[in-house]
Amino acid sequence: MEYTGEHTYIGEIGNVFVILSFVFALLASISYFFAARDNEQALSWKRIARWSFRIHGISVFGIVATLFVMLYNHYFEYEYVWHHSSKTMQMRYILSCFWEGQEGSFLLWTFWHVVIGFILQRKAKEWEAPVLSVIALVQTFLTSMLLGLYIGSDHPIKIGSNPFTVLLRNHPDFYNIPLFTNPNYLQNLDGHGLNPLLQNYWMTIHPPTLFLGFALTVVPFAFAIAGLWKKKYTEWLKPALPWTFLGIAVLGVGILMGGAWAYEALSFGGFWAWDPVENASLVPWLTLVGAGHLMLINKNKGQSLFTAFGLAILTFILILYSTFLTRSGILGETSVHAFTDLGMSGQLLIYLFAFLFLGIFLLLIDKKIKIQYAIASTLFIILIYILGSSSFHLKMFTVDADIPFRIVALFCWIIYTGYAFVKSSTKFLPQSESGKEESIYSREFWMFVGAIILLVSSFQIMFNTSLPVWNKLFGLHKAPPTDVKQFYNAWQLPFAFLTTFLIAIGQYFKYKDTNIKEFFKKIGLSLLIAAIATALISYGLHYSNPLYILLLFSALFAAFANAAYMIQVFGGKIKKAGASIAHVGFALVLLGALISTSKKDVISQNTSGKSVESIGKDYSDRDNILLTQGDTLPMGKYYVAYTGNHTEGFNTYFDVDYFLKNAAGKYDKQFRLSPLIQQNPNPQFGNAAEPDTRHFLTFDVYTHITFYDHLPDLKATGKKEESKDEYAAAKNVTMAKGDTIFSSNAIIIFDSLSTQFDKTSYHLEKDDIAVMAHISVLDVNKKYQATPVYIIHNNSVQPIASKVDNLGLQFMFWKINPEDGKVDFSVQEKKSNIRDYIVMKAMIFPYINILWMGCIIMAIGTFLAIWARIRRAA
Amino acid sequence: MKKIHIIGIIIIAVAIGAILTTLNSTSTYANFTEAAKSPDSEFHVVGKLDTQKEMVYDPKLDANMFTFYMKDNDGVERKVILHKNKPQDFERSEQIVLIGRIEGEEFHASDILMKCPSKYNDGKPQETATK
Repeated sequence: MEYTGEHTYIGEIGNVFVILSFVFALLASISYFFAARDNEQALSWKRIARWSFRIHGISVFGIVATLFVMLYNHYFEYEYVWHHSSKTMQMRYILSCFWEGQEGSFLLWTFWHVVIGFILQRKAKEWEAPVLSVIALVQTFLTSMLLGLYIGSDHPIKIGSNPFTVLLRNHPDFYNIPLFTNPNYLQNLDGHGLNPLLQNYWMTIHPPTLFLGFALTVVPFAFAIAGLWKKKYTEWLKPALPWTFLGIAVLGVGILMGGAWAYEALSFGGFWAWDPVENASLVPWLTLVGAGHLMLINKNKGQSLFTAFGLAILTFILILYSTFLTRSGILGETSVHAFTDLGMSGQLLIYLFAFLFLGIFLLLIDKKIKIQYAIASTLFIILIYILGSSSFHLKMFTVDADIPFRIVALFCWIIYTGYAFVKSSTKFLPQSESGKEESIYSREFWMFVGAIILLVSSFQIMFNTSLPVWNKLFGLHKAPPTDVKQFYNAWQLPFAFLTTFLIAIGQYFKYKDTNIKEFFKKIGLSLLIAAIATALISYGLHYSNPLYILLLFSALFAAFANAAYMIQVFGGKIKKAGASIAHVGFALVLLGALISTSKKDVISQNTSGKSVESIGKDYSDRDNILLTQGDTLPMGKYYVAYTGNHTEGFNTYFDVDYFLKNAAGKYDKQFRLSPLIQQNPNPQFGNAAEPDTRHFLTFDVYTHITFYDHLPDLKATGKKEESKDEYAAAKNVTMAKGDTIFSSNAIIIFDSLSTQFDKTSYHLEKDDIAVMAHISVLDVNKKYQATPVYIIHNNSVQPIASKVDNLGLQFMFWKINPEDGKVDFSVQEKKSNIRDYIVMKAMIFPYINILWMGCIIMAIGTFLAIWARIRRAA
Repeated sequence: MKKIHIIGIIIIAVAIGAILTTLNSTSTYANFTEAAKSPDSEFHVVGKLDTQKEMVYDPKLDANMFTFYMKDNDGVERKVILHKNKPQDFERSEQIVLIGRIEGEEFHASDILMKCPSKYNDGKPQETATK
């Protein structure tokens, strides 16, 4: 069939760019490899390499531009465009559409690598060839993720996913749907669109920042590989350092930006949830920080070099591993972040292992160890293959499962790798002079310890985050801990304490050796101030948990000590004190995180005490509260009222007013929060609730709608006002004489029954029984009477309703229980009576601004340090 | 003994500690039958909402209690009491993961994770109404 209106040419252009970018990345990698050798041909190889990388880079820009044009012009014949954008969506979110999908986010990553590569081509000088050879190799792998090739005919192996070749009508999910029998199908087609949850400015700024951070980790990796390869074991540190710290700053800001997004616009109820996807970006940041600091020592002193190499390489491997975790769908049930498997997990695993082996192999610098390792690894692989799926049963600790032998072999191989590392590290140059150990009073010793703490901390996070991987490998059924936050906090709090403590004392140690008297003289004042401040703050915040007090102390100590160092040593010269400023910032981030998390106050706690007994157990997180329109409930120090809602577009805003009681006992309105519920026109996305937060200098008030029953029907055309006159569903009650119940607007008292009353209007027959109930209905001003009648006519009950029109109430009398004399009524209220209500959650986050301020200070400090380093080098 | 060795030993000890606590503090994916056998432990139970049976959420009575019926992956059905608000778009959930324990005949969940088709699958292309 011929389809009209399709723009097939643009896909062809895009596809050509994809192929060019892949081919020239490969060519650049190979030719840079030869250009890095010291022979006569190196120069001509370099010329080829440079041009190849340029063509590769321009092709990547071409891919980006083509995809952008397709999105901009709504070419829905392409699955990617249809899937991630729509006509109804605002154009300013077009960038978000670009990187919402996997292909787009890989493309963003690739794009940053090109930018970095172009800069390195100009600046890296003698490092250009080996470093760019590594980067071009990474690019070869990344661009292959876009190839969209199928190899084989029966069960084709898919290599990459190509946004330019997958037409909507050819997509396997939509095969044979009737729409495509129409040759003119494009005319009325709209895209699936961008999830409205992602239609905000965070989605525009967070991914590019985070991916730039990811991309920057390739630089220390490539330099480390190049250093090992060219046997320039210390020379790589200097050119790689500014890049490493740029990566620390950008990735750090990117991660906290994600936290800010979660805090502002999503309903996590906090800025950090230890979600696997958050962890997956935090862990490489921790190892990158470790790598950066070890690189600093080695530049200055030349020790613990092996660990510096190891961490620089590990960081990039962890980035690949994180990509695998978040993109393969393996996290499935453990993460709130949604990622679908595009069938590329195998490909990602191959890349992961390729770079892992490259890193390991180069790290074993001794030729003999390398050969031994290569032979042993080959044997292990053969062994694992031979063992197949044979297994044995293991019952130990909480493990109770069949464990395949090949897993044991895998473990042996990991242990052997560790052994090879230890052996290799002793051969590493430069050895500390004549086997002399680092002094315990030296800066390098404590920086090394700090880096190791970061490594152990990231190991703990990664091991637990990888639980789904262990489940798959070992055939286990382990679920994450029930209280994930508490689990991680218990481990990470001590690590944070140690790290901040080292940050406090680190700079006061000198390289090689320190006069310990002078050390205490310089740091004494900061220590004293920190101790006093800790005592005061712990008292003020009623801290009793010793871990909180310790972290509070160490964070304050780090902040004060680094601020003091800036003044004492650099004389307040900000340009030179980048590192100190960054350390103050980091300490403030942890301080803000500690206080705002530990003193988070859920002020919407259900205080009514209702129906808790019926459960028999105390479920602590009773965070939701019902708030009826017009009522005012005390929450924390506030009095909170729900005043109504209004709908704008797809959003329904709920106005929640916060009052304070003044000295005269009157309520003063302080502010209004308008959390919203979004009803998406595309039912696929469902409804989404977005919190609203009021920011004060020392605390934030967060309000979130967790349940609302009467969302306006956006599709309804006619007015539904008349329905308010209808009665709502009946409420059945059993009452004894004198019992009281409440309707939404009145107090209802059952007074008495009578059989003596004027029955003429009821047309009773001789054998019929009629009983009248007398009910008093009291509202604020007046007392009304209701008299429903209960009639038994021909052995069937015929109740006669009684209304109180002024209050919109209707009563029916159904039954008299002969044993206890209780009677059954039903009460109905007019819909107009029933007041609107919301179920909401409100929290106070104290001092969270310290965290955001710390983040900004940390970024500024790091940039200053990088700037100082670049200027000194120039 | 060199300092580096002491550090090495401490690292290995802490790492082993991290592995063991992870294995010990994890919950287990189970079905209702397994969860009923050990009512003292917390489990993650995966299943599907029974849309035929009643779902009760009356925030006027208790804003932190929601009851419904879930079939686990082996088809065993139980009443579930969730000690939270009724989650957004609950009826649309494709799969539910409950975190909690059996008490008596009911499963008391302290938390819930849902997979909604909105986030994981995508709709089919449709013609929009032309005006």
